[in-house]
Amino acid sequence: MNTVATKEIINIDEKKCKSCDHCTSVCPTGAIQGRIGVKHYIDHKKCVNCGQCLINCPFGAITDISMVEKVKKALADPQKFVVVQTAPAVRVALGEEFGLEPGTNVKGKMFASLRKLGFDKVYDTEFTADLTIMEEGTELIHRIFAHAGVPGYEKEGPLPQFTSCCPAWIKYAEDKYPKILPHLSSAKSPQQMFGAVAKTYAAEKLGINPADMFVVSVMPCTAKKFECQREEMIASGFQDVDAVITTRELAQMIKEAGIDFRSLSNEEQADRLIGTSTGAATIFGVTGGVMEAALRTAYEILSGQSLGVVEFKAVRGRKPVREATVNIPVKELGKTVPLNVCIVTGLSHVDGVVEDVLAGRSKYHFIEVMNCPGGCINGGGQPIRRDTY
Amino acid sequence: MNIFVEKSGITRRQFFKGAGILAATAVFAGVLAKIGIDIYKASDKYIEKRIAGLYTLDEKMTIRKSHENPEIIQIYKEFLSPGEVRPLSEKAHHLLHTKYGNDIPKLITELTAHGGHHAA
Repeated sequence: MNTVATKEIINIDEKKCKSCDHCTSVCPTGAIQGRIGVKHYIDHKKCVNCGQCLINCPFGAITDISMVEKVKKALADPQKFVVVQTAPAVRVALGEEFGLEPGTNVKGKMFASLRKLGFDKVYDTEFTADLTIMEEGTELIHRIFAHAGVPGYEKEGPLPQFTSCCPAWIKYAEDKYPKILPHLSSAKSPQQMFGAVAKTYAAEKLGINPADMFVVSVMPCTAKKFECQREEMIASGFQDVDAVITTRELAQMIKEAGIDFRSLSNEEQADRLIGTSTGAATIFGVTGGVMEAALRTAYEILSGQSLGVVEFKAVRGRKPVREATVNIPVKELGKTVPLNVCIVTGLSHVDGVVEDVLAGRSKYHFIEVMNCPGGCINGGGQPIRRDTY
Repeated sequence: MNIFVEKSGITRRQFFKGAGILAATAVFAGVLAKIGIDIYKASDKYIEKRIAGLYTLDEKMTIRKSHENPEIIQIYKEFLSPGEVRPLSEKAHHLLHTKYGNDIPKLITELTAHGGHHAA
């Protein structure tokens, strides 16, 4: 079944496992073996590396592999030009590790602390989130034209188009539904687009030999550690992203370096060139966010009109499966096209949606899938909450 | 085995009494643990707060649409599709798009054969 290499990202420490069985209830793919009273272990063939078990284990018995040492080594190496990118969801959760309320915006402090840690350039994954919208949005428009019979678009992929930002969803689709793969957008995730443009475009502009460049991602996600090691992610001629650390691991590095995080300025910005971003990129970290960002751009390009209100509130919310219809006046077709969209958050809810598509019953044009309930802000790499009522 | 011999061990009746209490406790503890954990996981207000945090950030941004990002326009005009903003250009395809499942080995061959992006 497995078409891609399986890397063992998430592991259960047998000594710490209390056999409580809670992890099996949050695992979206049934990858955890065991029942109450029996030590649990992970079937890595089924595991999508999402880390939901890790952040929900009451005993802290589940861990993810760490690339922190690799990052520290690169930072200490004068030969290396170390570049860092940070995902949207990190900036509203990192503060929790320093006693701030969940949702507190620490974007500026985050950039400041990364500079203090010694990164040569502090960029932003949000830049490549915008780039993802350009590529994935255009791909969607082409598929819609193909579907409408516009000449010149015959070779485009089928509808509906699925989003492809979530590495857990990608692995799940590859493992379980190979027939759905033509429906996936071919656009890489923002993390991987960043690595590819950093070691080509940015390296060229900065006059850096890409062989000396080391790209680090700070991610709310454990599956990103898997994604960066995928063998095909070498478009720059090198491994595009060299290492991934989680929000938790960045907090740990900041603490170890003795940086007083809370006193840092919150006004610092990411470096220019591949660091500027828009609000559309910011909401990538929330379920429905990629959809809303894509709609903002697709609507304006298809209609040739400027949106008065940029929010598409119909796609927001936390229901695991949501749907909405957006009427777009398509200039090229001379008529209004109702675009049916669907948002899935929580991979355990995706089967029905995928099976409808495979059976030809689906009425959707565009489907967003994110593994973690609520989106990346609740990813497996985020600060662990022990909140109770 | 002489545990049921009255003098040196316990009686058969005592054994079943003990075993019964142990079994009942084990079942009870298991059920309680499960309920306890369900209560434990119940609070997820932090998810709501993090979501609100990102939406607030979006509202504060001066530019809120991807295609209006000046650095996005720049990367297309200077690098991905020289002179114009044209997503899905050849270079964009090479650097920003991928393949899945069984198509991956062929993609890897192509990427390594061309020796990086310079050939694109």
